[in-house]
Amino acid sequence: MADVVLKVEDIHKSYGKLEVLKGIFFELKRGETKVIAGPSGAGKSTLLRCINLLTKPDKGRVWLENVELTDPKVNINKLRARIGFVFQHFNLFMHLTAIENVMIGPIKVLKLPKEEARRRAEEALLRVHITEDLWNKYPAQLSGGQQQRVAIARALAMNPVIILYDEPTSALDPELVGEVLQVMKELATQKVTSLVVTHEIGFAISVADELMFMYGGKIIEKGPPREVVYNPKHEATKKFFANIARLYGKQGA
Amino acid sequence: MYTEFWPDFLSRLPFGIMVTLEILSITIPVSIGYGILLGSARVYGNAFIRLLAAGLVVTFRGFPLVVTLFLLFYGLPEMGVKLSPFWTAVTAFILCSGAYQSEYVRGAIRSLEVGQIEAARSLGMTRLQELIHIVLPQAIPRALPGISNEIIYQIKYSSLAYIVGVNEIFGITTSINSIYFRPIETFLTAAAIYLVMTTAAHFGFKALEGHMSIPGLEIEIR
Repeated sequence: MADVVLKVEDIHKSYGKLEVLKGIFFELKRGETKVIAGPSGAGKSTLLRCINLLTKPDKGRVWLENVELTDPKVNINKLRARIGFVFQHFNLFMHLTAIENVMIGPIKVLKLPKEEARRRAEEALLRVHITEDLWNKYPAQLSGGQQQRVAIARALAMNPVIILYDEPTSALDPELVGEVLQVMKELATQKVTSLVVTHEIGFAISVADELMFMYGGKIIEKGPPREVVYNPKHEATKKFFANIARLYGKQGA
Repeated sequence: MYTEFWPDFLSRLPFGIMVTLEILSITIPVSIGYGILLGSARVYGNAFIRLLAAGLVVTFRGFPLVVTLFLLFYGLPEMGVKLSPFWTAVTAFILCSGAYQSEYVRGAIRSLEVGQIEAARSLGMTRLQELIHIVLPQAIPRALPGISNEIIYQIKYSSLAYIVGVNEIFGITTSINSIYFRPIETFLTAAAIYLVMTTAAHFGFKALEGHMSIPGLEIEIR
């Protein structure tokens, strides 16, 4: 598995009697972007959370660059530092300014000197088009789109092996979705390995290497995004993309 | 030689004020620190630490303060530990006030959105880093109104130190009253001094709250 960065094998997760994940398998190579789509309740977010163990899977294994994350002996904090996670609700640290939000990981977790952390943070913020005038603002003083871009910069500044995005645009006002998608597209083009849970089909079609469709706790269909969206095999997949098309209109590549 | 009431009272009072301030200058910061530690331990500690912290809270919040004072003053020497009246009072106030304050801290920690905690963990922070860098800087400002309440109580019940023989404001006041029997003048004077101190604390904490508020998160009420 030369350049496989993330490998997920037979992940199962139940909440009480409700089986949310029923055996998930896939892998990501370095530089790839894969999108997970599927109806609400399919288990998409749970799957992402099982990858960095915010949620503990009941069964199955996850590898990050040949290290087994699900091994109980492993130092999970060390591994999490190498997995970026971007949340639906941004989850910025409200008591820290934009730049402090981005610096705190490199300083406290990676133990970088402050000046170097600051350099990294500035670089990451500029990559997501957060200009210098916003660096000293607090999250509550920023728009949702700006907050989410700062959250992406916070992940980038850790130099992660992969970034996981959990519906990064679904909490945003429609006019702010574009700026976040634009940044994500640029990062995908720059070969930042990404796994994205999203309903933004346009994003999937324009930059994803593969689209995985989840339904009822399983990946029931996967392939090139165009193929899956325009030529779905399963009934559930057809229904889902028909609904999306009706809601959002036809989304161009 | 018969001394006049007012000159006698007013010449001895500054000493009492000094002692009260000395007590409070120790108990206020230490009890706040102890309360934060105790409140954090009850959320972030392992099973043993949580139990220990809960035990300290339940015990010293449950004991009447006078009983705690007597236990420390008369009880501890039986076990070979002898504290001066001053340190007996200081210890009792910290144990009692810290127990109350820890509950405000615990509540404030519990009130934080789980999302920020998940973000801290996703960055690879340890539990301790998460507590120190993310949780407490936001929980302490939220706990501050409750803490300030406790400090104001503390200023007032510091007067109980007289019961183990500390010559603070109230101790001086009662002894003067027992000589001259001028209860209205003596106790109103003592009350006024406490009122000045509690009012100062009120404004002090109000300023601190303003200082600690997070830009963009202030609520505007008109």
